[in-house]
Amino acid sequence: MDRVLHGKVWRFEGILDVDREICGMSYNLRYGSKSYEEQLKMYGEACLVNVDPDFPKKVHKGDFVVGGPGFGYGHDHDHACVALRGAGVGAVLVEAANTIFKRLSITNGLAVVEVKGIMDAVKTGDELEVDLAEGTVKNITNGKTLKFIPYPDFILEILDAGGAYPLLEKKVKSGLYTASG
Amino acid sequence: MSGKNVIQKILARASGRESVETGEYLMVKSNCPTPCQGDSLGRGNDQIEKMGAKLFDPKRVRICVGKSLDAPGEGRRKFHQWAERMGVPKENFVELGQHGVPHIICGEHAWARPGELYFSMTNGATASLGALGGFAVTLSTETGSYLAMGTTWIQVPEVARFTLTGKTQPGVFARDVFEYTLGKVGDIGETGRVILYDGDYVSNLGMDGRFTLCAQAICASAWTAIIEPDKVTLKYVKSRTNERVLPLNGDPDAEYAEHLTFDVSNIDPQVAPPPRRASGTSISQLAGKVITRAGIGSCANGRMDDMRVAASILKGREVHPDVTLSICPGSMDIYLQALKEGLIETFIKARVLLLTPSCAGCGGGYTLASDDVFIGTGTVNHPGRMGSDTAQIFLASPATVAASAVEGRITDPRKFIMR
Repeated sequence: MDRVLHGKVWRFEGILDVDREICGMSYNLRYGSKSYEEQLKMYGEACLVNVDPDFPKKVHKGDFVVGGPGFGYGHDHDHACVALRGAGVGAVLVEAANTIFKRLSITNGLAVVEVKGIMDAVKTGDELEVDLAEGTVKNITNGKTLKFIPYPDFILEILDAGGAYPLLEKKVKSGLYTASG
Repeated sequence: MSGKNVIQKILARASGRESVETGEYLMVKSNCPTPCQGDSLGRGNDQIEKMGAKLFDPKRVRICVGKSLDAPGEGRRKFHQWAERMGVPKENFVELGQHGVPHIICGEHAWARPGELYFSMTNGATASLGALGGFAVTLSTETGSYLAMGTTWIQVPEVARFTLTGKTQPGVFARDVFEYTLGKVGDIGETGRVILYDGDYVSNLGMDGRFTLCAQAICASAWTAIIEPDKVTLKYVKSRTNERVLPLNGDPDAEYAEHLTFDVSNIDPQVAPPPRRASGTSISQLAGKVITRAGIGSCANGRMDDMRVAASILKGREVHPDVTLSICPGSMDIYLQALKEGLIETFIKARVLLLTPSCAGCGGGYTLASDDVFIGTGTVNHPGRMGSDTAQIFLASPATVAASAVEGRITDPRKFIMR
């Protein structure tokens, strides 16, 4: 994934549970026989549909989902991260991140960053530029800039590869893998 | 410059650093074993083998069964074969006959230790093991990748300190105290933080109550919970492991994102009605509600203290004829101890539906029908969680659940506990 992202904002308020709101389809299907690509499609079509039924149709590839401290509430069910990626969401920007959701998103190659003040600084439809390595959000529409703690190289590397497992596979294939202990 | 909190100290140790700051990203290693769910082979574990990666330390892997006993045959067999191919020693399998709620088994073995970073494959209730004084978090589906690498990243979280003071009334338990504090801070009151419990109430609490207090931190959107190690912790841990124990405690002037104090002496038994989790309210608001189903068990309340309090209410009584009460001891060790103490006999005579130790205790064991009203000691109350979307799930302490099962309606356990 690119380290400088561009896209439009989809802003969501309130508590959005990974199970009920972020993905409108059961987590239990995650461990069936479907490939990761099939899961991206299947869950992507169910992304946020219980909040906005047309969201998967309206969102464009690379757009940002913006939420409050309640975004990503709930269990360690990473189908929600797959759903967001599958729908084409470029990154999730939140006031405060539910850590389990944030970790599993990064494991699945989706950036989730905590940006204090983000909910007041954007509205749906605004155009943003987000620099993950610099830790900046520029609202092109209203000119505001916010800062966040930038990702270190070891997280950017995971995102660049498309997730923790793709990164591991890349390392194995290139002979760079060692089980460090 | 302020001192360091216990989480900063544990993460400094785990990252090999002198000290760390809140918000900092670190690469970390764990000195604890990492338990996996042996009921079925997860995608991550399967994937690392297929891509040709190895386990960074096969001896560090533990395999428990009991998260889901829906398919005790095939899934377990596949996991066994995987573990054998990956070099996990046979003695690291906690097998059928020793099965139960993974977090309860992990606690019994003291795999999470004071002062150490501990990872588990199994869900957010890993927080329960924070009662052992370590930083206990789930890696969930990232576990396979971690087991191949031996390292992962962590961002040093903020810590919210909850000081609990006073003594609870008879009939009021750690579960009620938890529900009360959750109700006060709300579902997203502690997003991304670690909840540190301290105060004289916590010091006087046994290990079972401490596990209960810590188990459901994710309900406040926190990452995990912790109780700093004291004499109670160290006695428990040292009786269960020969591993080196190097406890860490926060400095007296440590930094906290928030410091709340709760007096527990006037808390009533709490009941959390659906649909939101932080809905705990005094039982007086809900007493009398007719129930059809009840369940005692789970990572939060499937331990010996819970079995004993349930038996103290059920002894010489019977479950109401219109109610099914399931009891699920948290592990086979607990089951055996309950048998020795005569609690199982009490349950059988009270017409309890006894379940084999597993996470089924959270959901009462069987799917709820559309008109069921359930009260249980599980961790989740949102509609549809245990079957029908229209079934209602209320959460409460084992005492309240047992009393309600006897009466056929939500009942204040103080009616039965007069000490």
